[in-house]
Formats: sequence, structure tokens, C-alpha cells
Amino acid sequence: MKGSFIRTGFAATAALAVAALALGAPLKAAGPTSEDIKNDATSTGDVLSYGMGPKAQRFSPLTQINTETVSRLVPAFAASLGDEKQRGQESQPIVYDGTIYVTASYSRVFAFDARTGEKKWQYTARLPDGIMPCCDVVNRGAAIHGDKIIFMTLDAHIIALNRHTGKVIWNKAVGDYQAGYSATAAPMIVKDMVITGNSGGEFGIVGAVQARNVDTGELIWDRPVIEGHMGTLKGQPNGMTGKLNATWQGDLWKTGGGATWLGGTYDPETNLIYMGTGNPAPWNSHLRPGDNLYTASTLAIDADTGVIKWHYQTTPHDGWDFDGVNEFIPFDATINGKPMKLGAKADRNGYFFVLDRTNGKFVSANKFVMQTTWANGYNQKTGRPNVIEEGRPGAPLGAEKGKMVFSSPSFLGGKNWMPMAYSQQTGLFYVPSNDWGMDIWNEPIAYKKGAAYLGAGFTIKPIAPDHIGVLRAMDPTTGKIVWEAPNKAPLWGGVMTTAGGLVFTGTPEGYLKAFDAKTGKELWKFQTGSGVVGSPITWEQDGEQYVAVMSGWGGAVPLWGGEVAKTFKEISQGGALWVFKLPR
Amino acid sequence: MRPAPNRRQLLGGLIASLFAPHAMAAPLAKVRELGVLRVGVYKHNRPWSWSEDGVLKGIDVDLAKAFATKLGLRLDIVEFTAGENLSDDLRNVVWRGGLLGFQRCDVMMHVPFERKLQQDNDNVAIAAPYCREGFAAACVEGTLDCEAPPVSWRGKRLAASTTSIGDFYLMAGFGGILRNSIAHFNTGYEAVAALGEGKADAVVASNAEVEAGLKDMNNPKLRRRKAPLPAMISEGWDVGIAVREDSRSLSDAIERVLAAMVKDGALAKIFLAHGVAWQAPLAG
Repeated sequence: MKGSFIRTGFAATAALAVAALALGAPLKAAGPTSEDIKNDATSTGDVLSYGMGPKAQRFSPLTQINTETVSRLVPAFAASLGDEKQRGQESQPIVYDGTIYVTASYSRVFAFDARTGEKKWQYTARLPDGIMPCCDVVNRGAAIHGDKIIFMTLDAHIIALNRHTGKVIWNKAVGDYQAGYSATAAPMIVKDMVITGNSGGEFGIVGAVQARNVDTGELIWDRPVIEGHMGTLKGQPNGMTGKLNATWQGDLWKTGGGATWLGGTYDPETNLIYMGTGNPAPWNSHLRPGDNLYTASTLAIDADTGVIKWHYQTTPHDGWDFDGVNEFIPFDATINGKPMKLGAKADRNGYFFVLDRTNGKFVSANKFVMQTTWANGYNQKTGRPNVIEEGRPGAPLGAEKGKMVFSSPSFLGGKNWMPMAYSQQTGLFYVPSNDWGMDIWNEPIAYKKGAAYLGAGFTIKPIAPDHIGVLRAMDPTTGKIVWEAPNKAPLWGGVMTTAGGLVFTGTPEGYLKAFDAKTGKELWKFQTGSGVVGSPITWEQDGEQYVAVMSGWGGAVPLWGGEVAKTFKEISQGGALWVFKLPR
Repeated sequence: MRPAPNRRQLLGGLIASLFAPHAMAAPLAKVRELGVLRVGVYKHNRPWSWSEDGVLKGIDVDLAKAFATKLGLRLDIVEFTAGENLSDDLRNVVWRGGLLGFQRCDVMMHVPFERKLQQDNDNVAIAAPYCREGFAAACVEGTLDCEAPPVSWRGKRLAASTTSIGDFYLMAGFGGILRNSIAHFNTGYEAVAALGEGKADAVVASNAEVEAGLKDMNNPKLRRRKAPLPAMISEGWDVGIAVREDSRSLSDAIERVLAAMVKDGALAKIFLAHGVAWQAPLAG
């Protein structure tokens, strides 16, 4: 840690001091470089990226807070995100140079003093009042680079702020908010580029991954994720994605979906960006025979050129709204005696995937939820699901018109947006999962935009008497669940694990909890006053280890009623950053 | 234009409300006090409502103007983007407002007048059915037999609005054999316009989209199919307005305005100005 401080802090400062003297530039412009961000997972004095490192393992080597000491963990301070604006706080904070940077609901950014919690500045994006986001007004986090804090807004802009003042440096539209496009994910920094995905709007979407110059916001490359569309590199055509009409009929590929709304991860060893893609359109699978590539997939994209190196489709020909956007986390392990470069993903569809991250080859897929009605495992040879056709919602016309299907997981997924964590200490993945199903049927009469429409009706329901949420520890080498910690309400927050033998995650009931990483035993909890749906972080400061998490109930879950709502309808809204440490 | 009877009716309504404590706070009184009627219309919904050079146009826009005028109110009309379903729109536009400052409207136009929709959305009152809508086809003469069963249109260039009933009808019907022949457009009106632009041979869209599109294209080779579409999924629906559940005094007043407009032909005139033949709602 010390060495890392000297390298990233002292050496860089010294170098910049020389440059500043030469150019007369303010010393303040210094800040984390792409190299620092690449090494974020091992530099314990800061948190420089969404995921606590480009691989997004959310693992910290810090040990001061551990299985022995965690029971003494107490708040250091809390900071309000008030402003009459509460709702879901799904963000993960960034920590650098004595400052905590955090995004909040309604496209806001706060800078707090990391020692006192005092507010340094606040930026509130001026949003057009006509926009009506589909789900909630959340934001999942910012990126940091040099003198900039970079985040995305509900009106589909990407904005770089000066991290000292909160003033705008550049501001680019990434979609047309007037047609309902929006952005909530945390951007990712790779080699002085900002990498982002996109989300759908009124006229549908073609998912895409974009790389921009971190200093100007100018587009470097663009990679659509649906076959038939052309990518670009520096303004020039850069090859077609897939092969036209190979897995889509007619012109449906033009509006094929596959939104990349959650962002991605990056592996410096292979120089690949791993991006998950959303479900295909239109929703009824009978209208679009074929695999519908590359929807519900993980793509590996060359960071320098934006070319797709490999793909793996988790749900071919999706008919259940199983977005494949979830994070693909690179890790190394020995499988059948062979050390391998792997990656893992816990998918909306209820399966936990392990792939060879150098070539996308299928290694294993194992159920991480109670029940999957749509498939019975995966074929080890082909890497494709053994689909249960009776579990597929019916065709919109003909004999199947009124058929009701019970489907598990529900369309909110075995795991939704909330990121899992991987411990380099235990070799386990910690997956925030939900056990729930849904009845789904074709509505005989539905309406959209004032006109008759063939919609799907659904009711989400619990499938266990005592819980919906379950924090699960998965062994990626065996696919076995090692331990489970059930929770009454659906889990909707991210997970972090540490070399102190701990796993941290929040609950809608308002607790931040710490578990024994080996056994799943709950060792500590703290009531934050509102639901926790953000992702915790940890760092070291002045010789002490700190833990921080956002509190503020919201996100997509409260939009749904029925049986599921009974588990959370009494939860109060909030909006605060909580910071913890051990008493001196 | 006969404002007098309406005003009398309104006064009658106000007097009645004096004797009904619950109706005292009813938005008709409130709206009159403020002198402004705030009406929400769909964005990108030609010929019902669309924006051209910053000016809002369309049948729903003209209707809203007529409602406001006849109620003696100033019109505050605002566009909104369609959500994933009608319940989203009713929540954002009528009973709650948008999370980011979109102020709820007194009236939302173009709400299907359907019992199921009313049951599922008890925070609003759906009222004042003002027309009947349904689906129709149109063709370019000489390219295919417009009156023949659509199954014979295989291999021709067909147009539809993405995920509309017209689209599902062509994609899912006839064993799916037309699926490769369909070009998709963002709106039904654009799909109809594709006929005039030589980009398609036949289209399935809503009655109003077809009729307004044919009028605007003004091309003698384009014509509407006369025969009904076989096995069409939708039998059509009545179109009305929505107000907040506690604002029935307002929707009642609009229903009285509407009745007068039906009687004196003003309603049909508004439709005709956009090339659409007004069809009376079944719910009358």
C-alpha cells in the first residue's frame, strides 16, 4: 500500500510539479491516470473505478476490518443527499485524494470530504421536465480520470466535471432524450478512453458500445451489438457486426434491441472489454425465429479497435425478457488441473456461467436460483441451454393465444443489475440473487401509445415462503453453492468482499451487513434508515480502513405490486452516504 | 360555436357542486378559477398529435383547442413521450406527474375507452369517447391486388410500424410467410407515407394513419383497401380522454361540449381537416 502511495501519489505529483512549473499550469490538474485506474484493485488507498478495479471483482486486500473486528464497526459519518430528492440510490462511491465522489438519484454528483463528510461541491444536471424514465431516477456511479469526474444522465448525456470544482468540462449527448433515451450506468475508463453502453427508448434501440476521448468526449469507436449494423473507428467504417440476416428474419435486426444499459468490465491482460447485451425486440419470441445475435450475450471487444473478438449467448432466442447485461468478471482458477484465464457471469436467466475469457469457450453453467422453468441445464458440448419449450410464453396468435405460463426466474431475473463480487482469498463468487417467478400471458386487449397492442401480462410472485432475496456463495470451479444467506425482501444492492474474510452487502430493509466469506455467518449489521441498493466500497486512509455505502430505497422493484410488494411496502425513502470504521 | 348553452351547463354544474361537499374541490371549479386547461397529447402520433417546426398539430390538438375555447379557458397543451404501456402514461400524465418535474395534466387525450383499462387504473376516470379507431390497409395500385387476402402479398414490399398491431398481424399471421417482406417504421403514418415515397407496396396501419397519410400523399395510385382484413386481431376501439379520478366534474363538462360538437358537426369537421372520416364511438 505504501509503495503504491509513493508511486501513484508522490511520484506523479513530483512529475507534475515540474510540468506545472514549466507550463504555469495549476498543480490541481493532477489526478489518476489510466495506469492508476488499471491498478485500482491493488491500490488500497483509493477507489478509482466502478467495480474496484477494471475486472470489477469488488475485492479488497485490506484486512484491518476482519471476521474478528467487524463486530466493532461503527459509523464515522453520514452525509445527506437531501434536496427533496430521494428515491433509489444505486451508486458506488469513488475515493481519491481525501474526497469521496458519489452520484445520486436525479443525475446528481456530490463531492464529500473523506475524513469529515463535509460537502465540497454538488452538481445537479438540469434535466428537461418532459422526460419520464421507465424505471426510477437512479444512477450507478461515476468514473474518475485526471482532473475529471465523468457520469451519465437521465437525459442521455455524458458529462465530465472538474473534480475540484464540480464545473462542467465537456458534455455530450449519447442519445435523444426526446425519444425516451436515458443513461444510468457508470462509465469505464480504458486507456484514456471512456467506455459506455446505451439504453432503449420510444422507438426501440440497437445496443451499442462506444469509446470516447476522455479529454474531449469525442467519439473514437462505436460498435453496434446487433448483426447487420456497421461499426466505426475514427469516423471510418469498421466492419459489420456479425453476418446480415444470419439469425434474424426480414429487417427486424434494424430494431433488434440488445441495449447495453449496464456497462462493462475490462481485462488488461487480454485487452478485451466485456459487455453484456439486453433482450431482443419485439418481446414475443415467436415473431423473430432464430438466435437473434448478439442479444442476451456477453461480447468481448478489442479495446483499441472496437472489433468483437468473441461472443457467448446466454439466452439464445430469448422469450422471457432475460437481459444478458450482467457483468462478466475476469478471474483465474484451475479447472481439471489446468490453470485457466476465466470469466464468470450470473445471468438474469438463473444460470452462473464460467467461460474461457480469452476465446469465449464454454466451461460451465450452473443454476444459482431455486428454480429455472425455461431450461434444464446447459449442454456441455455445445454450451447451449436445454430449453423447455412448454416454458416459453405462447405465440400472439392461434391456439396458444391465451396460454398462461409460469416462468422462473421472473423477468426481473435471478440477478438483476446489482453486481456480484469475487474473492481472491476464498476463490468464491458472492451473488446477490432473487428467487421469484411470474405468470406471463398474452393480453387479449392491451394498449400502447393510445392504440390497441399485443402486450404481455404478468404477475411476479415469490416461490419460497420465507424469502425472495438470497446472497449466495458460488464455487466457480464446481458450480456448487457453498452457502446461502436468505433475505425476506428482494436483494437489489451490490456486493463487496475483502481479504479480511468478509462479504458486505445491503438489504432493502435498510441494513448494511457483513458475512463470514467462508461460512456465510452474519457477523455485523447496521440500520441505515432506508433501503440499501447501492454497492459498498472500502479503502484505507490515515492508517484506518473505511467502508462506505449509499442508502436510499428505490430502483425497479417498488414499481411492481402483488405478493412481492408485501416484503417492501413499508420501507421509507432516504438518501445518504454512510461511512464506517473501527473505533480508535 | 355556441358558447352560451355550455356556459349555462357549466353554471348548472357549479351550482350543483355547492350541494355536494366532495365535488367542491373538483377540478372543474379549480380549472375555472385558474382559467387554464392543461392537456397532454402524445408525441410522434400523427395525425392525432405531432410537432412540426415547433408547432403542435393534429386532431387531438384541435379537439383540445375546441374543449378549452368552449369552456372559456386558455389552453396549455403539452406533448409527452409514450411509455411502455398506457398505465405508465396515465400515471405520468394524469394522476401523479413525472418524477422530473413534468406537471400532471387536467386532461390526457387519446385514451382507449375500455373497461379493462379503467379497472386497471382506478386513479383516473376514462370518459368522453370521441371516435372509433381500428386497423386498415392501403396499397399502391398496380403492384398487388389490394382486395385479395394479404397472404397473396408474399414477396411484395409491405410496411408497418414496429410492434404495432399492423406489424404483428403481418408478422404472426399467415403462418409467418410475410415476415421477410415487411419494412418497419417508427410510426404508422411513416409506414403509410412509404407508399407515396415508392418504398412500399402495401401497408397495415390504423384507420386515421391510413386516411391522413393518403390525403397528404395526394397520389391517385394509392388507395385504401375496401374489404375488411381477414382475421384482424383487433376489432377496433373507442378513443376518449382521461382525467383524475376526483375530476369527473371536468370530464362531464367535456362530455357536454363534445355532445354539442357531434350535433353541430364541429367534431367531424376537425377530423375531415386532417383527411380522416370521423367514426362515431360505439359507446356513444
